[in-house]
Amino acid sequence: MTDWLGMTPNPRDPRPELRARVLARAVRPGAGRRRWVWRAAAAVLVLVLGGGAAYWARDTIAALSAERDRLAAELAAVRDTLGFVRGPATRVVWVPVTTNGRLGAVTIFADSATRRWLVRCEGMAPNQPDETYQFWFVTAGGLKRAAVMTMDEDDATVMAMAFEVPADVGPVTGAAMSIEPRAAGGGGGGSGEPRGPMVFHLRL
Amino acid sequence: MTQPKRLSQEDERTLVLRLKARDEGALAELYDALAPWVLGLATRILRDDGEAEEVLGDVFVQVWGRIHQHEPTRGPLVPWVLSIARHRALDALRRRRRWWRKAERWGAAQRLEDNGAAAAPDPGEASVPGWPVHQEVHAALAALPGDQRRVVLLAYFEGLTHSEIARRTGQPLGTVKTRLRIAHGKLAEALRHVKDWMR
Repeated sequence: MTDWLGMTPNPRDPRPELRARVLARAVRPGAGRRRWVWRAAAAVLVLVLGGGAAYWARDTIAALSAERDRLAAELAAVRDTLGFVRGPATRVVWVPVTTNGRLGAVTIFADSATRRWLVRCEGMAPNQPDETYQFWFVTAGGLKRAAVMTMDEDDATVMAMAFEVPADVGPVTGAAMSIEPRAAGGGGGGSGEPRGPMVFHLRL
Repeated sequence: MTQPKRLSQEDERTLVLRLKARDEGALAELYDALAPWVLGLATRILRDDGEAEEVLGDVFVQVWGRIHQHEPTRGPLVPWVLSIARHRALDALRRRRRWWRKAERWGAAQRLEDNGAAAAPDPGEASVPGWPVHQEVHAALAALPGDQRRVVLLAYFEGLTHSEIARRTGQPLGTVKTRLRIAHGKLAEALRHVKDWMR
């Protein structure tokens, strides 16, 4: 006869406002179902928001990772350049130049140990559309091609270039720069040996 | 002093028929008569007013939705409703026990009541219909030896299985089963005459 044990606890009067709510909820068709619909809708909303947040987080993390990699690469390049410039075997030569009536300068960092060169040109006149600056290594066997540096009207007035002395060039005793024909189509161009006017020619 | 509401078995049958005929007035009458008992039982099990009120609502939704499942030949309406209330409250209790912090608070409340500090307020014998049955059930429980009463209360109000009661009380499983069987027999005998819905 445990059925009657439910009457063991003292009765408690429900709050008066509860009566209408309970009765309305009981007789309203689908009240329970509606509550589950709301719960399901809330769950879907949570899922959508959670998914959106996860997508945003993944996107942001990917962008930040790319930015970190870019900055790390830039830092490595700066460290490499700084190490190169401050290296014990690096010589620095500053050459004042005049191009098309404009006074500029070329700074050469030459590392004889690693045979790496860094050339910085500043304040040089822009090339004519069919011309380019060409840099030369001075060796016992004559002038050898080093690099082509083209400066157009809309380029910055400062240009830097790093390159290595090829193994077959031999000992480098100096450097030179001349103005040579530019290749058709806007490519590098240059000449096998200097033909145009010399910008500078010096011994290191 | 207001006299407790008295409803004969004939009245109860009529009420059930009206409920099955989807008479919302009948549900309101049932609420007025039974809501305090349902809320008292749910509060006794859950020790939380908010959750007990939630159970109260669930019970009347279920009564209205499943009244066609009630078989008068298998028992009166009140124990059927209270059985629904007990199961809903125990379901809520089990859900809550999985949330350890709430379970901890519930334990503290139970310890308080064990010390006699948190008993439900006594509303007075005449203010709620069904009070005589309440007193008879109390008397039947009080007549049980303490160890039998404890296992009955653990099984009914906390929904513990026989094994869980054995662990809780530190008694052998067989002893627990024997005490429950004897206690149920005594209660059935003591409450055999309770036939009316509320008298």
